Amino acid sequence: MLRKKHLLIASAAGLLLAGTTFAQASGDTLVVGLSADITTFEPASVSSRDNANVVRHIFDTLQSIEGDGSVVPDLATNLAISEDGLAYTYTIESGRTCHDGEALTAEDVAFSFNRAKDPANAFTGNTPGFVFSSVGFVDAVALSDTEVQINISAKNQIAFGLLAEVYIHCKDSYEKMTLEQAATTPIGSGSYKLESWMPGSEVRLSKVAEPGNFQNIVYRIIPEASTRSAELMAGNVDIITNVAPDQIDVINDSGTSAVQSVQGTRRMYVGFNLSPEFAAMPGGDAIQNPDVRRALQYAVDVPAICSQLLNFPCERMTGIVNPPNANKSLPPYPYDPKKAEELLDAAGWQRQADGTRFTIRFQAGRGRYLNDENVVLAVAQYLSDVGLKVETDIMEWGSVYVPLIRKRNVGPLFFLGSGGALWSPLYDMTDLAKADSGTNYTHWNDPRWFDRWTDIAASKSPEETRVIIDEMLKVFYEDGPWMHMYFQPDFYGVSKRLNWTARPDEKVYLFSATLN
Amino acid sequence: MWTFIIRRLLQSVVVILGVTLISFVALQIGGDPTFLFVSERATDEEIELIRKALGFDQPLHIQYLTYLGNILQGDFGNSLSYRQPAMEIVLGALPATIELTVFSMIFAIGLAIPFGVFAALYRGTPVDGGIMTLAMFGQSIPNFWLGIMMILFFGLHLKWFPISGHVPLIMPLLQGEFLTAVTNIPKSIYYMILPGIAVGFYSLSRNARLVRSSMLEVLSQDYVRTARSKGISERAVVINHALRNAWLPVVTMVGLEFGFLLGGVVVIETVFSWPGIGRLVFTAINQKDIPVVQASVIVLSVIFIALNLIVDLIYARIDPRVKL
Repeated sequence: MLRKKHLLIASAAGLLLAGTTFAQASGDTLVVGLSADITTFEPASVSSRDNANVVRHIFDTLQSIEGDGSVVPDLATNLAISEDGLAYTYTIESGRTCHDGEALTAEDVAFSFNRAKDPANAFTGNTPGFVFSSVGFVDAVALSDTEVQINISAKNQIAFGLLAEVYIHCKDSYEKMTLEQAATTPIGSGSYKLESWMPGSEVRLSKVAEPGNFQNIVYRIIPEASTRSAELMAGNVDIITNVAPDQIDVINDSGTSAVQSVQGTRRMYVGFNLSPEFAAMPGGDAIQNPDVRRALQYAVDVPAICSQLLNFPCERMTGIVNPPNANKSLPPYPYDPKKAEELLDAAGWQRQADGTRFTIRFQAGRGRYLNDENVVLAVAQYLSDVGLKVETDIMEWGSVYVPLIRKRNVGPLFFLGSGGALWSPLYDMTDLAKADSGTNYTHWNDPRWFDRWTDIAASKSPEETRVIIDEMLKVFYEDGPWMHMYFQPDFYGVSKRLNWTARPDEKVYLFSATLN
Repeated sequence: MWTFIIRRLLQSVVVILGVTLISFVALQIGGDPTFLFVSERATDEEIELIRKALGFDQPLHIQYLTYLGNILQGDFGNSLSYRQPAMEIVLGALPATIELTVFSMIFAIGLAIPFGVFAALYRGTPVDGGIMTLAMFGQSIPNFWLGIMMILFFGLHLKWFPISGHVPLIMPLLQGEFLTAVTNIPKSIYYMILPGIAVGFYSLSRNARLVRSSMLEVLSQDYVRTARSKGISERAVVINHALRNAWLPVVTMVGLEFGFLLGGVVVIETVFSWPGIGRLVFTAINQKDIPVVQASVIVLSVIFIALNLIVDLIYARIDPRVKL
């Protein structure tokens, strides 16, 4: 009996002991709850936003884009662009080192770029897959210990911003590593180094250099939104990403934390697929007419969708470009179903005996964007109200919808989001850089848009470029291939002990975070 | 018995081959996975290069045969997302799921037997009614909802238990860190309580009903009456004569359930941020990380087959009427 009693006491003590080891945020430790797992620390393989948000604390870049879109120096103190726009020469700050103590020179920067491009490594991350494809990266050459030249194949006014996304590391350490080692044990150049990584569970970083106000950053992987919210309200994490709209009020009422809602840069739109194949489909023929597309802009009440389904007062888009860089003379389309019906009548698509004008299929993926399924159903209802017979086809995102999107074979109506930026209107516009570009999912080929890219390349001043951009945006606004929706809001739960401001571009950088 | 075991092992090879083929074909139905690993701005040449690097440029039957050939050499391929050996990733996630499953089974069986026995012994009384009502709730409540409710009440409101997370127990043992494993035991159990109950509650309910009905059947048998007439105490009758026979259907159910739980705790692993194999497979399927899915399928199939074999052997051991 006595032995049993001792066992009970020991068990209770054990549990009590365990109770004191909660994963609490503390004075020198910042805890972030992420929704998606971290899959790699290989700088050239990072592709997801969550993964990039962690890795950016381990690796520095040549320059940094701030939350407001301004460009500031990071490793590079100076940038000189050649007259033909094909060579970018960066001056590297001297005295910088990697986490193993190796001096970081121009040779290391050149190595970081060239290694990412090496086909033998078959990297598929953001650097080789997006940055290099977008700028036409040729190679990188160290001109001296402090000067590195990046060569690109064609003049590109936004190359400097894209090159600022490449993670820099040291040559000697990475030459010795296998690809597997590089993916799990990074030797970085940034202000934090990797302490430990438990896949699917947590990542621990510790500070080794400035900037940064916390000695440790812990990222916990918490896939379920309500669990993330509970951890935040319990004080176990300081910041959570992707707060579900229906939990905003609960968090705000908790007293321990609050939700920061920001209008993001991701452009959400309903695309009109104008390809000849889709023109032969029901409804595909109707949307070939720009008047029909314009009519449908009036049919959807975007502010109502935002307030009712996203719990956020969004601003309706006026085009493909984020607000600070948009054509300011263009007002958002108002919700005016009567006008939509008049325009559809005038375009020759009157209501038939059954009350419908034409049938059209509306395809979308499920679970990728904020409340996407309900947004699609709401848009379909609005279109039905003006006489369209909408057949919604909402499918699994990753393995069904994405392949269709990538083959530009989705529609005639489809719902999609596209990541944007504040630092240049051209970044947003390059989704439609060429009529046959992989991101022109609509097959739109209006020469009033696509022919102007040569004018932009030839323009001599920012003012001249701005005039051309505004003209292009007007064409896009009036006759474009997107039904303008909204910029997706982002919701971050933030502990009241923390002083940190969310950025609109989904980048969760913690360097400036401090305790209140 | 050895003939039986060898025959079953040979059958297992065929089953595993079939499972790999079905999962391989199922993953290919969704289309070319290359698109998930290239930028939307990639050119056709870049897409082709990546397709070749990932091995998706070969005809499907060649891809499958190459895969089988590699398996025979112990090479399960590299994860397309993690860029590490797929089998290492799967085996890294497996211990967490085994911990959760074992804990939940101990919870479920540990309570199901006394609940079922008491319900049978007190048939038609409030005790029976109360236990069966609880069992009905357990079988009706979705485990993810129960998990979230427990998080809100016991984790957030009362702060008795951690809301989410995992403290490894088996992994340190496998890595030879015996002291770490021992030190982790209280913390590990503490973190297992809420997810373990959420996983095991359905099993507890079903097995309690199963034990009850099995006990009711056994208690009416002649040999129980004979035992009672010999003056054996009621406790000895229940434990030694009735429960031992009532236990047979439960053994079968528990063995199969353990296998199902190993691969089927994905929702609870997601709710409680438990880094197990269920969540890993779910993510891998979404990302079309074919090597990880295939490696997981093989591991889970082997475990399932082994468990079935063990159940059959145990059954033969505890029921003399069964001959292998």
